[in-house]
Amino acid sequence: MASQNSPLVIAKAIQNQLSGIISPIKVYSNFNRNYATEQKFVTWHLRNVHQPVYTGIYQANKGIDRPTFQMSVFTTKMNDGLDIANTIIQSLHGYSGQFGGVDGFQISKADVTLLYHGYDDTTALHTVFMDCIIDIPT
Amino acid sequence: MALPNKILPGFSATLYAQSGATPTPLTVANLSDETSVSAIAISDNQIPVEAIPAFGQDDASANFAVAGARQSDVIPTQSKPTSMTITAAWNPSSAALLQVRADAYNGTIDRTYVISATDGTNIVNYAFNGRVGEFHIDPAPTAETKCTFTIHARGNQYGWSNNT
Repeated sequence: MASQNSPLVIAKAIQNQLSGIISPIKVYSNFNRNYATEQKFVTWHLRNVHQPVYTGIYQANKGIDRPTFQMSVFTTKMNDGLDIANTIIQSLHGYSGQFGGVDGFQISKADVTLLYHGYDDTTALHTVFMDCIIDIPT
Repeated sequence: MALPNKILPGFSATLYAQSGATPTPLTVANLSDETSVSAIAISDNQIPVEAIPAFGQDDASANFAVAGARQSDVIPTQSKPTSMTITAAWNPSSAALLQVRADAYNGTIDRTYVISATDGTNIVNYAFNGRVGEFHIDPAPTAETKCTFTIHARGNQYGWSNNT
């Protein structure tokens, strides 16, 4: 019988975890162009929060949560962006344990993929996009 | 109320198991008795399985051919109730799965299982007595850990019923 994690709890944990990894660089949920004045910052957004549902009339008959959050690294210098991405990868990829500090939760594994690196003309910022899948026992 | 009179989706089926370490399975007559069966089909007895596989009765037949006759014949012979290999997401503390595990370890415990399917109002039940013959834990790291077990239904020990 699996209980569903609150997306809010997951979101707070992601914010706390990322902030801890790359402090003092700022971490924001979602992208806001106002932040683009900073030299370096990271945004994230959460997606694919889903437990598989199984047969029968009881709502609690479900599998585990494996949500994904995407991280977007913005920097004025490409070197800084890849360096921040590396810091996140070294800390998160393969990580097992408490996620998100004391108010977070236990994860069995974090799996990070660096999706691609690019450059945005309109904001004049280099970008690195990464996905992280976390396995949450429930 | 009677039998569900609709085509049912697969999600409508729920598996229940009689509780207790050494249960007394239902008699053959009671396996078709709604009152007896519905007492087992309660939420506390649910086994939280992913999906319920094919259930019912297997096929078995003998072929006959007689020299000189134009046609041959296929005669049904002793067929058995279908064995069911079932997968559940594994929670090591699940009382239902611990019970299944204990049955597999023992190997000779007869227990009544009930599969109920409902359209939301009416319920059809397939009740059978069976023993657990297999219990696997598959911790493949790409998803939750799976628990797989097989229930072998005893011959001549199943029945159908519906709510009234």
